[in-house]
Amino acid sequence: MSANEHDETIDLTLKVWRQRSGGAPGQFETHEMKGVSVHSSFLEMMDVLNATLVRAGKEPVVFDHDCREGICGSCSMVINGQAHGAEPETATCQLHMRKFRSGETVFVEPWRADSFPVIRDLMVDRSAFDRVMSAGGYVSANTGSPPDANATPISREDSDQAMDAAACIGCGACVAACPNSSAMLFVGAKVSHLARLPQGQPERERRVVAMVQAMDSEGFGNCTNHYECSKACPKGIGVDVIAQLNRDYIKATVVRSN
Amino acid sequence: MFTWIGQFLSSSIGKKTTMALTGLLLVGFLIAHLAGNLLLYKDPEAFEAYARKLHDLGPFLYVLELGLLALFVGHIAFAVRTIVENRKARHSKYAVQADRGGKTLASATMPLTGTIVLLFLFWHLIDFRFDGGFKGLFADGASGAGAADVVWNTLGGTAHMAVYLLGIAALTLHLSHAIQSAFQTLGLRHPKWTPLIERGGVALAVLLGLGFASIPFAAAIR
Amino acid sequence: MNDTKTTASPRLDSKAPGGPIAERWDKHRFDLKLVAPANRRRFKVLVVGTGLAGASASASLAELGYDVTALCIHGSPRRAHSIAAQGGINAAKNYQNDGDSVYRLFYDTVKGGDFRARESNVHRLAQVSVNIIDQCVAQGVPFARDYGGMLDNRSFGGAQVSRTFYARGQTGQQLLLGAYSAMMRQVQAGRLRVMPERELLDVVKVDGIARGAMVRNLRTGELERFAADAVLLCTGGYGNVFYLSTNAKKSNVTASWRATKRGAFFANPCFTQIHPTCIPVSGDYQSKLTLMSESLRNDGRVWVPKAAGDKRPANQIPEDERDYYLERRYPSFGNLVPRDVASRAAKERCDAGFGVGPTGVAVYLDFLDAIARHGRATIEAKYGNLFQMYERITGDDPYTKPMRIYPAVHYTMGGLWVDYNLETTVPGLFALGEANFSDHGANRLGASALMQGLADGYFVIPYTIAGHLAGRSLQPVSTSHEAFDAAEADVRASVDRLMGIRGSRPADSFHRELGKVMWDQVGMSRTKAGLEDALVRIRGIREAFWGDLMIPGDARDLNMELETAGRVADFLEFAELFANDALTREESCGGHFREEHQTAEGEAKRDDENFCHASAWEYNGANKPFTEHREPLEFEYVHLTQRSYK
Repeated sequence: MSANEHDETIDLTLKVWRQRSGGAPGQFETHEMKGVSVHSSFLEMMDVLNATLVRAGKEPVVFDHDCREGICGSCSMVINGQAHGAEPETATCQLHMRKFRSGETVFVEPWRADSFPVIRDLMVDRSAFDRVMSAGGYVSANTGSPPDANATPISREDSDQAMDAAACIGCGACVAACPNSSAMLFVGAKVSHLARLPQGQPERERRVVAMVQAMDSEGFGNCTNHYECSKACPKGIGVDVIAQLNRDYIKATVVRSN
Repeated sequence: MFTWIGQFLSSSIGKKTTMALTGLLLVGFLIAHLAGNLLLYKDPEAFEAYARKLHDLGPFLYVLELGLLALFVGHIAFAVRTIVENRKARHSKYAVQADRGGKTLASATMPLTGTIVLLFLFWHLIDFRFDGGFKGLFADGASGAGAADVVWNTLGGTAHMAVYLLGIAALTLHLSHAIQSAFQTLGLRHPKWTPLIERGGVALAVLLGLGFASIPFAAAIR
Repeated sequence: MNDTKTTASPRLDSKAPGGPIAERWDKHRFDLKLVAPANRRRFKVLVVGTGLAGASASASLAELGYDVTALCIHGSPRRAHSIAAQGGINAAKNYQNDGDSVYRLFYDTVKGGDFRARESNVHRLAQVSVNIIDQCVAQGVPFARDYGGMLDNRSFGGAQVSRTFYARGQTGQQLLLGAYSAMMRQVQAGRLRVMPERELLDVVKVDGIARGAMVRNLRTGELERFAADAVLLCTGGYGNVFYLSTNAKKSNVTASWRATKRGAFFANPCFTQIHPTCIPVSGDYQSKLTLMSESLRNDGRVWVPKAAGDKRPANQIPEDERDYYLERRYPSFGNLVPRDVASRAAKERCDAGFGVGPTGVAVYLDFLDAIARHGRATIEAKYGNLFQMYERITGDDPYTKPMRIYPAVHYTMGGLWVDYNLETTVPGLFALGEANFSDHGANRLGASALMQGLADGYFVIPYTIAGHLAGRSLQPVSTSHEAFDAAEADVRASVDRLMGIRGSRPADSFHRELGKVMWDQVGMSRTKAGLEDALVRIRGIREAFWGDLMIPGDARDLNMELETAGRVADFLEFAELFANDALTREESCGGHFREEHQTAEGEAKRDDENFCHASAWEYNGANKPFTEHREPLEFEYVHLTQRSYK
């Protein structure tokens, strides 16, 4: 059994960002959190704070969350300056309090990017991602009678690489962590997922052009290859997907005759 | 008919691609420039011959200079646009920001090092292209100091030494991120080759930096 | 044919076709009316929920040309809880040449469901399962492949054939993203509107037919009206009635419950699946439970110490002082017994005082033998990400010490009663996926939830909805219809009532309390006395809720406390029906275990004489008892037998 098996608790000073709406000014609110169990998750610690606030008749801190097992991509907190906190490949919901020291001051901020306007407090609007997806992040295959699933063999390597890219949970940590608020890792992940599969080939060029166009018009910044996105990604998606996106886009716009 | 060019150049990836291509060509220029400079160490005559050869290109030299100017202007113009857009993409800044190992000193300071290199470039052009010593070197009837001596004489002072070292240091830092970054931007990433490109890029940046920096040092100890 | 004492309710017409089972779906599809392509645009379909069932239905119906609106409780359809399914999806492809077939999948599902599902529905599910895989591959779902490039399969949850397709441990995610991308394509084409951050608060009926919904805009707090010609509830299961479950925090019973109050019958609410391999509760701050994929049982061995209360660390307990109780009790299936059996066995050991860990409410799942046999690298390749997740949550390293696991609520087989067309007892109101009751009986087989959600959305509703749209002459209804006025007034009144309590406790605290009662007395094993006691307690919590709830902020604004309170209020009513259903079903079957009904060896004892039926409950008004309607289940093909995993 590990050292902190039994009811260990820590005390924290929490500085939480409060903001009524995208247009309104925001500020930090300080809360002293006493006796936080080291086995609770970061969101469970926030639950405890919110329960206290509600009991006092105050509005709780609004934050997005749902599955709490690191796959829905809802949770989105910048903790001490890092999207999803300091643990590698861990979404906020799976970050546990045993990673913090008693007495620490913890800053909690929302994703900050103009393309992700604040809805309230720590919750931001990530519908820009849906608009980028609807521009071309799909294979046009109507429900019906496609060929048998085994009709086209796909090498295990291709399939694995497609899966590496497809693992994206759309949380937006890449944008939040990027010094330029660029969405290249997100878009690159979808473009690479489909570019690495035979099913994605017929629309490969249209897709990449349309998705980059949509991405640009959403006002995300330009990638300058800091690679912070990949370091912040809870699924560890690599910047190879950005190279793939660049390559496919250049090919589609400059090389192809149509 | 040419709308695709405009579309490409106004897209985020188009802008970056242009910066990458112009940047790589400028690296090519730097390599040629350094190779020429290193003739200084061979013997004054070799450098003199090199300088004369360039001079003898006549109007064609202006074409080359214009080409070089276009590369610089293109690189800088797209850099400025990128920087401005990136600033606009996040109006509200983080109160606390901690990097997690992607960002480097070089990648974080690209606009700064780029600006220093640009300012240095003006100084350098004034030294050697406009007012400086090469002017009149090959004029009819000119005599006296050879091309090599012009270099040594121009770079001799402490002020020059400081400015050149600062400019070259900024260039080195700039390139240490830029070279691998350009490959990434052009989509040239490969599990086997990228580690080589990354290390090779830094090595090339350092070699260029050392090579260029050696000249003011050599001037100082003469 | 079985002899049943159940009398069929005249209110429940299953519309299940007769004839040879393999031909029923084809014949039924042919008999259904069609809507001509040019006319489809005129029909508005409202899809509530965008998980696998809702996303696949929205995309498919929009492709056909219907005018579709999809309501999504999240900011994006991609966040629906289907995304969290790990293990895989079954399909009767027989790619492995190991004797699988549509009939075998049908047979396994009926038997696995402990003979409480409708044969016609289950056979259709098995039939369309093969199309699902083709469809998903065409969308670019990166299923696992072998080195020859063919699709890989694994055996899952004790199945004796390998028919489970998977994409690492993220199959649900990949399937949902496939369906979501198909939706996004229709959004781009202008045939589908996705309304994010919306929650259904009431179903609106006109002339007895579902014609729309009252919806809360969660961003602004405004109430919105949506009129439609058909309403599809794809709102998932109600496992969160237990507060702690593997469901997501937003998963709720509200849509189904409000539909129930508008006349849809709720079937078999007590059929709940408890998943045996979850990370145990660690403290009272716990907000949810995390499932560890069932595939772990393929290599892990489950054990507890032979001595009760043995508090030594696992590695200090010698081999002969360990009780591998699943291997002991079920020699032929061992650690791979079905979920309900494995879950109850763990509870039995812990209740008897053999549980491990600081709380004593956990058993070991040990990989040390497997690591010794296959090497660490092999185990890491198979389960690396699961082990990582376990360590992230618990801080323990499963490579060096056994995992601690305990069962948790995972899936609910019960749901809105639907006929063969997936239509509820309210005409025009359909229920798809986990929200309906139809295909899994009293227990769902592993990797069958994804299959059912997608079957309903891709391959069933596109046909059966036409029967409703073309078969009933629907008059146009606008949102200014008086039925909407009335529904809005109702919704507003109930919101005001919640806001007006101004007590002192957050909604979550009541929910937690309810969950404890449900888990202790209406959970893995149930008794008459326990259920009766639970009913009293549930009413008590409900009273406390309505007396002491605190919701800060305004109703006409983003207000997450109000959202939670509405859902908890519904759970508090629904729980009572749940317990009553468990009390009424005087037998043990599948996920429903009544201690009074067990064999001498402690195994579940079904009563086919009296309970071979689905119980569908009709709402009769506030504080009035529900009326039970029974749909007798007939087994013409898979003959009633007692399950045995000895």
